[in-house]
Amino acid sequence: MAKFITRRLAHAVLVIIAATFLIYLGLFVLGDPFASSGEKTVPPEIQEALREKFGMNQPFFMQYLTYLQNMFTFDFGIDFEQRRDVGDMLAAAVPATARLAVIAILIEIVIGLTAGVIAAVSQYTFRDVFITIITTLGIGIPVFVIGIGLRAGLSGEWIFPAVPRSFTVETPWWQEIILPAFTLAILDAAFIARLMRGSMLEVLRADYVRTARAKGLSERKVIGKHAFRNSVIPVVTYTGVSLGVLLGGALITETIFEYQGLGFLLVRAIQQHNNPVIVPIVVFAVLTFVVLSTLVDILYAYLDPRIRLH
Amino acid sequence: MRNKSVLLRAAAGLAVASLALTACSQQSNTGTDGDGGGGNEEPSAGYPEVFNDEVTEDGTPGGTFRLGIVEPAAIDPYTAYESEGLLVTDNLFTGLVHTTSSGETVPALATEWSSNDDCSEWTFNLQTGTKFHNGEEVTSASFKRGWERVTAKASASDVAYHFDQIEGYDEMQAGTANQLSGVDASDPAVLKVSLASPSCEFYLRTAHTAFSPVPEVAGPGQNEAYNNQPIGNGPFMMDGPWQHDQGIKLKRFDDYNAGPKAYLDAVEITILVGDDAQQKELDGLNNGQFDWARVPPNQLAVTREKYEPQDGWISKKTFGIDYLQVAVTKPPTDSAKARKAISMAIDRPSIIEGVFDGSRAPATAFVPGGFQDAYQPGVCDACEYNPEEAKKLAEEAGLTEGTELNFQFNTGGGHEQWTAAVKQQLEKNLGLKVNYSGVEFNDMLENQQSPDSAGIYRLSWGADYATPGNFLQPLFSTAAIGTDDPNAPATGDNPGRYSNPEFDDLIKRAAATKDEAERIKLYQQAEQICIGEDLAAIPMFERQQFRAFDSSKWANAGDMDFHENPKLDVIYQK
Repeated sequence: MAKFITRRLAHAVLVIIAATFLIYLGLFVLGDPFASSGEKTVPPEIQEALREKFGMNQPFFMQYLTYLQNMFTFDFGIDFEQRRDVGDMLAAAVPATARLAVIAILIEIVIGLTAGVIAAVSQYTFRDVFITIITTLGIGIPVFVIGIGLRAGLSGEWIFPAVPRSFTVETPWWQEIILPAFTLAILDAAFIARLMRGSMLEVLRADYVRTARAKGLSERKVIGKHAFRNSVIPVVTYTGVSLGVLLGGALITETIFEYQGLGFLLVRAIQQHNNPVIVPIVVFAVLTFVVLSTLVDILYAYLDPRIRLH
Repeated sequence: MRNKSVLLRAAAGLAVASLALTACSQQSNTGTDGDGGGGNEEPSAGYPEVFNDEVTEDGTPGGTFRLGIVEPAAIDPYTAYESEGLLVTDNLFTGLVHTTSSGETVPALATEWSSNDDCSEWTFNLQTGTKFHNGEEVTSASFKRGWERVTAKASASDVAYHFDQIEGYDEMQAGTANQLSGVDASDPAVLKVSLASPSCEFYLRTAHTAFSPVPEVAGPGQNEAYNNQPIGNGPFMMDGPWQHDQGIKLKRFDDYNAGPKAYLDAVEITILVGDDAQQKELDGLNNGQFDWARVPPNQLAVTREKYEPQDGWISKKTFGIDYLQVAVTKPPTDSAKARKAISMAIDRPSIIEGVFDGSRAPATAFVPGGFQDAYQPGVCDACEYNPEEAKKLAEEAGLTEGTELNFQFNTGGGHEQWTAAVKQQLEKNLGLKVNYSGVEFNDMLENQQSPDSAGIYRLSWGADYATPGNFLQPLFSTAAIGTDDPNAPATGDNPGRYSNPEFDDLIKRAAATKDEAERIKLYQQAEQICIGEDLAAIPMFERQQFRAFDSSKWANAGDMDFHENPKLDVIYQK
């Protein structure tokens, strides 16, 4: 087991180094960030000073190695636009994104599981058909349509803050998070409902469920205790992956609601060619994904000894 | 005299053409014009100018003015440059001189200034007893400190080049000096400046906020506390630090004595994000969240209809121009005839009508109309649409059916539609084969600068300083090419590599002429050469800006300043 974990961690480190290198190289090759300012050219002496300031007067490999070294000490440098400490910007955005991801996952679990269970136990009834239609819609409608729709219809009403809103209006975090969290949760909730329905139907046909019923257990106990627990496993796996994706920042949803998380930060950084901000966010997204998938692998290995043999 | 009659005829022709074309959009000017140049007597296409720069002085202190902007790059004068950053710095700081909304340079902290005969030594006498927001007195040393802060190499300021005439600038930029040797602050009430490259227009430059004084606490350029909450000497002060991506609060500086105090208690600047920031500003104005807004191009007509009757509409020609930059050393655009043919084949008024809803005016000169004394409408005689003449000139210049012409624009700036119209007209009227492409701005810049650059490029230019020379020297002088080598990239703002000794000589003479009227004459002659004769760039549209504001609540708000921002220092609550 220890050997397996070590190997997986070594893989993870390699993936991260390869990812940073490719991202760094891509941005480096993309062009000269100091050639123009507004629509005017930048005089050579100013360009020179800027290059030196941002450490870009070094050869590419030196730059990359310095960057890598600084990154391991959580020093991400300063950004090209406002010259702020990138570490501070990330420190502000990461908790916001994590909060959004967790709330969205909670919402999708509650809605998805409930709908899935209801659909499964009342198979082929009106309720089942209704849930099937709704989940099809949920999976089919693109996230940006849902987001824009919710923003247009609800923001500024009742407890939902306006987008954009004046910065002097204090808004509690939970009010800010409701709409983007629902937007993110809808697709996954629909998917979870379908997953749950399918796996539950399978379990309900299993022998031990029939045995439980034969023993005279109440329907509530049969569904809640025996069927539910066993059919929820694929949902847990799916949610784990989903969390990994969301933690990297929800670009579209955060941008629509101007939610100050990693995704929104990344979108703005890309628009401004703000390379020092782009690199760590992308690396962070890769990192969370790698870590979570490693955890899932380890978990699998623990659950299923056969995997360790490969 | 002969020249003048040509000009008149050109202007008249333009007037007729534009009247015919904009008959439906030219509604009566509602008469809110001030006396400061609002009365635009020349009929031309575009929305009429409507603004009121008269300042009434019966306001009482009070009120919070709210508006939206996009996140500035900086609000610290050491590196602030775009309109958003300048909105804040212009109000936090008072410099030596001030550029008014009509482009005049007037005294601010400098009560008077003078130079020696060759304009290499400048003396500014300062108003004494004025204070920074922290109580520190503003002296000549505060200016020296500010200027050194901008030019220090470690600051890597985007605006340091404004100081390039001053003695010691090169050493500061090279990092070999920590004092700007050309600035003498030994007398606290007098600032003396020596120029390495003399210019009789130097004082104009000092209107830029990069030339602001800073207090001792400012420290070096990179100083996060000060960068986010600059302590200045202007009519407003920061109310808490800049909340990045959210907003900036200003409050009145009650001890301000460098000029009239502001009336407003506070200014709330909300930072808006995204490509649709203008739309958000307008939405905010319409729903009462903001008091002032820019107007997105597709909302001009409805917004004007709503706000003009309430005197809440501003329409103003400002200090800028849209033009086509031309590679003048490479075929097929290497002759004046070819460039004039291209220019005359473009029907500007119909593009304006079709793409801009009639809101803008075609340019017939390169120096904008904002410079009232220097403006020469019609100096570009080839800016008038004349397909027959264009065809004739094209044949003489060797532009024939199927000649290839590169035409590049930058994406993401809203230039797709009008450049596509230009392409169509060139194909239709001259039979050219136009290689039309849109790329990112920096890629376009690289293409323009390349020694192989050929054809035409979309560009625009805005004023750094209030002088017509700012539209001529940086764009058309030989020095502004940035290289002597035809095989090296042209890194200056003249990537078209236009070079004419006669023009260069006039610009040089203008910089050395103390008398303003004389200087302007020289600039006019220079424009006559680079545009009238050589057409080194093809003028397209005059820059015109539109704003809407809540006139039921605010007075003195009917004008925008030199940087196209509201004049926060005079606005008061009704």
